[in-house]
Amino acid sequence: MNIRRMLAFTRRMLLQFRHDRRTLGFIIAMPLLMMLIFGYTFGGDPSNLKVAVVNLDEPVALPMGSERSFADTVVENLDDDTFDLEVYSSLEEARSDLEDGKIWGIIHFPANFTSNLVLDLPPAGNGSVPSTIGVYLDDSNPNIAGVVMSGVQMAVKDTVTSTLEDMGMEQGTEPVQMNVVNLYASERDIEFIDYFAPGVISFAIMMVTTMITIILFVFERRNGTLQRLLASPATEGEIVTGYALAFACIGVMQSLVIMTAAILIFDITIAGSLLLALLVVVLLAIGHQGLGIMLSSAARNELQAIQFVPLVLFPSVLLAGLFWPVESIPQYLQPVSYLIPLRYGIDAERSIMIRGWGICEIWPQVTVLVLFAVLTLGLSVLILKKRR
Amino acid sequence: MKWAIETRDMKKHFGEIRAVNGLELKVKRGETYGILGPNGSGKTTTIKLLCGLIRKDSGSARVLGCDIPDKKVMNRVGYMPQETAVYLDNTVHENLQMFADIYGMSRELFARREEEMLHFVDLSDRKNCLVTTLSGGMKHRVSLACSLIHDPELLFLDEPTVGVDPELRATFWHYFEELSKRGVTVVITTHYMDEASHCTRVGMIRLGQLIAEGSPAELLRATGCTSLEDAFLKLARRDDK
Repeated sequence: MNIRRMLAFTRRMLLQFRHDRRTLGFIIAMPLLMMLIFGYTFGGDPSNLKVAVVNLDEPVALPMGSERSFADTVVENLDDDTFDLEVYSSLEEARSDLEDGKIWGIIHFPANFTSNLVLDLPPAGNGSVPSTIGVYLDDSNPNIAGVVMSGVQMAVKDTVTSTLEDMGMEQGTEPVQMNVVNLYASERDIEFIDYFAPGVISFAIMMVTTMITIILFVFERRNGTLQRLLASPATEGEIVTGYALAFACIGVMQSLVIMTAAILIFDITIAGSLLLALLVVVLLAIGHQGLGIMLSSAARNELQAIQFVPLVLFPSVLLAGLFWPVESIPQYLQPVSYLIPLRYGIDAERSIMIRGWGICEIWPQVTVLVLFAVLTLGLSVLILKKRR
Repeated sequence: MKWAIETRDMKKHFGEIRAVNGLELKVKRGETYGILGPNGSGKTTTIKLLCGLIRKDSGSARVLGCDIPDKKVMNRVGYMPQETAVYLDNTVHENLQMFADIYGMSRELFARREEEMLHFVDLSDRKNCLVTTLSGGMKHRVSLACSLIHDPELLFLDEPTVGVDPELRATFWHYFEELSKRGVTVVITTHYMDEASHCTRVGMIRLGQLIAEGSPAELLRATGCTSLEDAFLKLARRDDK
């Protein structure tokens, strides 16, 4: 091996970066950015989960002489970081908000919660009338449903243990029963794949569309085909819309493949309208195609174009609620997730496929996706016009 | 209307660089007009201005009687960029079909024109081949066919013979002469001085300005030179003074 010849290649390559400062900056800045994003978003537990408390419990005079409601104690023992509690006066009102997706769960204390608990505690406890808590869960997100459930269990256990300690007694049987009502699992089992598949569909559309568009338009510019198109009667709007339709078709095909695989292999069911799910996919594809054209205009060559991949990929993967709920990323980063269009696509797809919601329920997400598509396509047309 | 192209004091600056600096150009209908000049003289910028790809800073420019930029007139204009400018992962037919659709050609007209064009550029047997599988010369011919599919009245060719072997260059000039005989106005940029002898008239440009114009024979006679290259150099030196 000729060392000098070998080093000649190394030298040329390194010198290339001197002339392409942007690539050099990317090489240095990207690992740092990845470290920060992964470090701050990975591994967190869901927090600030909106949960309703319907507390109908009536205080009871205890043998020690004081009057007390154990429901208040359970609420006090709920973890402040995990729960963002809202007090409701009726179960019906809370159930309505649960069905509308405004809250993740309901903790319902019946009127005789404390009195039944007192009767059930030793030495009087005979278990004949158990004290119950009703826990209603939006199980469209199994992660969050699990966190709410375990949070309530923990608070109840802490309450019972501390109460018995205060009274100088030892715990025997489980004095509080939980009646758990899952909003969607009553019809079928919701597994993680049900939660994951809508996210994968949205993510695949976003990735494929954005990346292919960036590379495609850089190629169109360098190869001269874009100039040829712009020197024809075709308008910038026609070019952009034509490509958008192509990507919409690709998006629909991809979604059908993913959905078919998910249904046949993983036995998921689509509770809502397939057409509505595909409409969301089309909007995602069109919007991200526009984003791809915009980003490609900032790249001189394919090397610079490929640098946009992680810039689009990582924030979407980590902040849009693909693998873990948005509620589990640090609270100060959660507002950033509202700026990521993929979040609305994933939200909408999950609501359609798991909750069986229709356009009346998911119109906010659809509106954001329509605005995103209009904005990016409009800006793409302007960018193509500005090059004149 | 006598003129296919008419520009008056057309200017285009890129920052400090005066790419086109008061260009006065008149191209007759049906002639093959060569824009001749060294690299960086403003040839490609001129073509891009006339095709509406970039906007002029000042002056006027009319193409086929229309002030440009004008999308409507582009229906009657063909443009072949310096680059190959065809879709490599599509077949020859698919490329031609797309441009035919852009120009609003009927199915019957396209079928006829496609056959004509493939015959013209000698690619009839490659109609269904992917462009990426063709040789460099064939790709250039596909590009020319795409520029001609809609039967334009005016054809802009931006350095079509750069990087092309001598045999294909000769073939291309044969094509251009054929087009001229059919009444197509051909505007061609080149820095190969010897090629300009094929043109009806030649405009020599330097630093974005026309320094001489006429038929190749007229330019040789006026400068007393035996080649257009010598004539250009002599005119450039005179222009410097």
